[in-house]
Amino acid sequence: MPTISRSAWLLVAAAACWVVLLLGTLSQSHALANQADVWPRWVLLLAQAGFAAFVFMYARLQPEGLRGHNFVPLLRQVFWRSLLATGGLVAAMLVERLTAAHTLPLPGNVTSAVSYTVVLALFILLLSQTLYTWRSLVGFRGGRKLRREWVVFELTLGIALLLQLFIWNVPYTLRVVLITGLALFGVYLSGHQRWVAYLSQGQKVQAILLQIGVLTCLLLFLRYLTQAQTDPALLAPASQQAFLVLTSFFAVFYAIAGLLVSFFNLPTADVFEQRRNEILSLQQLTQIIQRGQTAPEIYQALFDSAVKTVQADAAWFDTRPQPTDPTGSQMMPLLHHLTPADVDKLRANLAGLLIDERLEVIDNDLGRSQRLAGLGYHFCSVVVLTLRSPSYDYGVMVLFKEELEGFDREDSSILNTFTSQTVLSLENLQLAHEARVNQRTQDELRIAALVQERLIPKKLPTDDWFEISTYAQAAKEVGGDFYDFLHLPGQKLAVLIGDVSGKGVTAAFHTAQMKGIFHALMQANPLAKNERNRYPDPHRFMVQANEALTHCLERSSFITAAFYLIDYQAGGFSFARAGHCHTLYYHSIKEEVSYFRTEGLGLGIIRDASYEKYVKTQFWDYNPGDVMVIYTDGIVEARDGEGNEYGEERLREMLSACFYQSAEEINTHIRQDVQQFSQGLPLHDDQTLLVIKFKSAQPQA
Amino acid sequence: MKVTAQPAADTLTLVLDGELDASSAVVLDTELNKPDLLTYRKVLIDCQKLSYISSAGLGVFISHLQRLQDSDVKLVFYNMQEKVFNVFEILGLDSLMNIVPTVEEAQTV
Repeated sequence: MPTISRSAWLLVAAAACWVVLLLGTLSQSHALANQADVWPRWVLLLAQAGFAAFVFMYARLQPEGLRGHNFVPLLRQVFWRSLLATGGLVAAMLVERLTAAHTLPLPGNVTSAVSYTVVLALFILLLSQTLYTWRSLVGFRGGRKLRREWVVFELTLGIALLLQLFIWNVPYTLRVVLITGLALFGVYLSGHQRWVAYLSQGQKVQAILLQIGVLTCLLLFLRYLTQAQTDPALLAPASQQAFLVLTSFFAVFYAIAGLLVSFFNLPTADVFEQRRNEILSLQQLTQIIQRGQTAPEIYQALFDSAVKTVQADAAWFDTRPQPTDPTGSQMMPLLHHLTPADVDKLRANLAGLLIDERLEVIDNDLGRSQRLAGLGYHFCSVVVLTLRSPSYDYGVMVLFKEELEGFDREDSSILNTFTSQTVLSLENLQLAHEARVNQRTQDELRIAALVQERLIPKKLPTDDWFEISTYAQAAKEVGGDFYDFLHLPGQKLAVLIGDVSGKGVTAAFHTAQMKGIFHALMQANPLAKNERNRYPDPHRFMVQANEALTHCLERSSFITAAFYLIDYQAGGFSFARAGHCHTLYYHSIKEEVSYFRTEGLGLGIIRDASYEKYVKTQFWDYNPGDVMVIYTDGIVEARDGEGNEYGEERLREMLSACFYQSAEEINTHIRQDVQQFSQGLPLHDDQTLLVIKFKSAQPQA
Repeated sequence: MKVTAQPAADTLTLVLDGELDASSAVVLDTELNKPDLLTYRKVLIDCQKLSYISSAGLGVFISHLQRLQDSDVKLVFYNMQEKVFNVFEILGLDSLMNIVPTVEEAQTV
């Protein structure tokens, strides 16, 4: 440890100087008596200056005494040391008095020379302790500028020491200018009493008492030394007065200033200003957040506020893009007094702190922890803050200070307020973004639902020969069920119902397609040889629809459909079923309700010409009073609370109970029964229900 | 929904357990998509514990039907519950796919 050995050398050198000084002073006192053997004056001066210089340098090298906010223990330490030194002073004075009164058999001039030298040594030790304790207090929450000013102060004090050593007769004006200048500098530095504002009431009382104690000790020493200077018995070297006077002046003045500030309870303007800055920064941050700006702006605001508020000497901020950022690109770190190369180096050395699980890690003594050893930076304190929400890490901010113990409880709490506020706002930003995206999707779905709504025939075919009633309900915004009617010339009506596998938007697209196919295929064929072939029969319709769908339906999708071509002039209909639910039919002559159990494969399952083998046209002659119920599987597969299905059987029983009613009433009955069955549960699948009731040709008759 | 594959000589048996709906269809699709499936002569589907099949579930079988046929792999369903069989029947798949009552019959197809 080079520091320790250097301190030891300084102590040894100081001791050596003191011994020389003692011998020199003795020789002078002897000289007074014997008029012989006088040491040259410059030896004494050099020894005294050397002693003072070494002691002060030793004190300067000692580790920072102030840890966190422990001002009172620091003052107590200085007080006890002062008391100890004053004890020495009193003892020396006592010995002198006793010798003067001849109580002690000692030679008077030797005694006063020794005691003077001892007291001088004690005083210089005390001054050095006090000065460097005051340094801790002056530098508390001060910035880089203040630390520079302190170094300048030390240097000028050193110059004052050297000046008298090398220039025997310092010109009077220069001395006055130097002393006045330094004194003013000391007064300026004494204005830095920020620490007082951090004392509680009790601590303040203790601090006042301790400072009074230290002050008294210093004044006692000064009184003794000024008297000794004029003591005819001692030709003391009127030596480094300028240095000692200035140092004592500063030590005393700082103590008095601190005392006054503590006594009148005046928090210094600086502290007020700092608090105001913190509040302003927080307000600024909140405003930026409320304006709902972008994530990079929020990051920048946080970074600026944090650096300004804690007066960091250097900082960087690694940010990550918002999880919803479509580009997802890595963002450049924000920098303060650092270059990207610096950040790379520091990041590598601080890796241990950066991956820490905690939100905030502080290392207030980087010298001891050796984290930045060998990098050549002057940073002594570092704080690492992680911006984290339960779901996402937004970034890591690293702040440096050149002073030891740079980040205290206040800094920590304000920084944490900043970061938590920022995380909150980033989350809000994200939520707002998601809400917007969601809203857009909702809007588009609503439009899709409107479009689909328009595809459903609004005007039902009406005629004396039949009644039609319809009901359709999609499970989601858009559905996969469809139906359509088309009047054909010659009192014919084409009816199509179907269900696209799957749900939602994809299914909805295919329903629109089926409608297109239906209308395209049901165009009259001008080349038809006879009336029967003018429109495709149900079998041909299915085969052609299957072929049309081959190219646009995903491989795992299929469509079930049933197609009816009702010729109400002839009183019959032909139909084909392509995998769709069986048609329920009430036969009025047999008074029987049954399903048409026919065969037929769904559309899109076989995608080549062989499909035509799997679908058939059936014919049926109806009688007035017959009822046909056409529906999709959403009806028969509707579920109750226990997961049971409504089923074909219950549907059949429903029709058996209400076949004599009008188509509209039958439809309503069935619908209500299904709803009652599913007990208001959300729809499991789209539901469509068509009821067609055939009537006699002339119902009035 | 659980799918268990039981390979044996030239036959692969897939045992389905549970409800085959849109979410579980993915599991089955992954199983049927495995390339070594085409090295078997026959793929048997044990439907004894298949309690429900949705159109998405049917879609999985339909989408693999052609591929299996092209590679001369027979797809045979057996032990099917009546409710599930009804769904196959309504869609007309009973005329297109081999659906037999027992495992013995499935093996002789």
